[in-house]
Amino acid sequence: MALRVGARRSALPQVWGRQGTLARDEAAFGYLLLLPAALLILVLVGVPFLNALWLSFHKKLLGATDAPWIGLQNYATLIADLVFWQAVKNTFVFTVGSIGSKLVIGLLIALVLNEALPMRGLWRSIVMLPYAMPTLVSVLVWKWMYNDVAGVLNYLATTAHVADHQILWLGDPSIAMPAVIAVNVWRGFPFFVITILAGLQTVPQELYDAAKVDGAGVWARFAQVTLPGILPVLAVTTLFSAILTFNDFSIIWILTQGGPGNATNVLATLTYKIAIPGLELGKGVAVSVLMLPILVLMIVFLNRFISRREELA
Amino acid sequence: MSTASVLADRARQASADRWRVRVQRVQHVGFRAFGWLLLAIVLVVALFPPYFMTITAFHPPSLSFSRTPTLFSTDLSLRAFAELFDKYPYLQWMANTALVSVCSTIFSVTVATLAAYSLSRLRYRGRSTLSSAVFFVYLFPSTLLFIPMFIVLNSLHMLNWLPALIAVYLTFSVPFSVWLLKAYFLSIPRELEDAAQVDGATRWQSLALVVLPLAAPGIAVACIYAFTLAWNEYLYAFTLLGDQEKFTLATGLTKLIFGDVFLWGMIMAGGVMMSAPLLILYFVAQRYIVAGLSAGAIKG
Repeated sequence: MALRVGARRSALPQVWGRQGTLARDEAAFGYLLLLPAALLILVLVGVPFLNALWLSFHKKLLGATDAPWIGLQNYATLIADLVFWQAVKNTFVFTVGSIGSKLVIGLLIALVLNEALPMRGLWRSIVMLPYAMPTLVSVLVWKWMYNDVAGVLNYLATTAHVADHQILWLGDPSIAMPAVIAVNVWRGFPFFVITILAGLQTVPQELYDAAKVDGAGVWARFAQVTLPGILPVLAVTTLFSAILTFNDFSIIWILTQGGPGNATNVLATLTYKIAIPGLELGKGVAVSVLMLPILVLMIVFLNRFISRREELA
Repeated sequence: MSTASVLADRARQASADRWRVRVQRVQHVGFRAFGWLLLAIVLVVALFPPYFMTITAFHPPSLSFSRTPTLFSTDLSLRAFAELFDKYPYLQWMANTALVSVCSTIFSVTVATLAAYSLSRLRYRGRSTLSSAVFFVYLFPSTLLFIPMFIVLNSLHMLNWLPALIAVYLTFSVPFSVWLLKAYFLSIPRELEDAAQVDGATRWQSLALVVLPLAAPGIAVACIYAFTLAWNEYLYAFTLLGDQEKFTLATGLTKLIFGDVFLWGMIMAGGVMMSAPLLILYFVAQRYIVAGLSAGAIKG
């Protein structure tokens, strides 16, 4: 291994020497085109990120001009705080619950839509509808449907005699989490359907034919041909969606603001609550900084998956 | 082994085969029926919220003064819309949202096209690291960045200033567009560019006259997504804009939800108008969007 790396390194300058100006010219052009985007990202993301790290070690209050250094105190108070651990748990429940449901529903619907159905294009368009609507509007509609006084879900549940009293969809601590997960799943499952459907279309038909000749049934064909064929797509889609769900603020904030109590308070909403209404900007940032290790891990995995696929393509 | 036992064996084998085929046929029909049932349920669930939004907008609760939700009505009115325009600067919010979305889209897609071309086509040191960095920045949580943004813009007296919001939106739309377009450029055959350069075209000429026209569908997808991200954005708009005249649709509409039952007609009317541009965009460009989704993976 080391030998091969060494060999490549020594071979490089030779190649560059032969067409040195061309390579140098190409590199210069490359850096030039990248420059505007790189500068923007550096200024707009890099600087605030460093600022955020700095803030997390200071006692910065909203409206105060000074921000004394307090070392790890923001982190220490968070780790000793049960509300923080509740938010960690909620974040995982929200993420895993959403992703699991989206994956199962998305896979099943993609399998159905991959069959030769009449009017398949129409069904696919309808399935895309939740994805095409602005997230915020979907959340508002669901909030209206969940309304305990005049909401349509309670109306349907009571008239169909599924429930004999009004359900506090967003007000009951044991129902609120499944209720917010349902909204996330409703909005996000079409993404799974479309990407999995694209993955299914790359599985060669010959493999199915061969499996049929070998006497494999529906289930065996799914487990031994379909599933291995779409595994990379499933991995990328799931990780991608997991990262975005893990970071999501608006769905939970608009539906419950983290309540009732802290039943749906996730790390994203906790950050906001501590920083803005709670006025403790430094401590709020610390919550988000604590999310980073897991987030970075997921992004690294996803990046590796995607670059491997790009190399294969 | 005797002939009889061989024959018996074969018969047993044949009957087992038949049995298996029959089981498989039943299984197949069963799976198919289950699949259709599931699809039907999912279609109803996908359609109901947009339908209910529309019926509430055109038959608002204030029309019947009833706490029973209206599931169907032919008595439609534009009263909720009129009331919304009357009581809130809705059109101003829409103009603000359009301004912020269009500006951030144009700016980010332009910058991103150059960067994506560079990252996918030109060879230089550190290219793959820079590529990964862009991806990383795209998935970076806005919950981590909104606090420093708030502090900086506050100290510069730039809260409530839409150009500042446009700049903030570039934090996600630039890396996102770079990433999407990079995948697209990789799918364009390199030979065409080489041919142009052999014919004496400069790098700029081959980029502008050969690559960009071929990348047009990809650029269109990047525009649609960058526009959608900005149109939908909530956290930054919510924290960085405090003045009602400067609200975007996302912040304006959510300010209304803490009212009573009779406001829901107005909120849903606002939702219908906020969804309309995106729904039209999606259904006109559905083919490209599906292609974009499959090429990479977009905001879920």
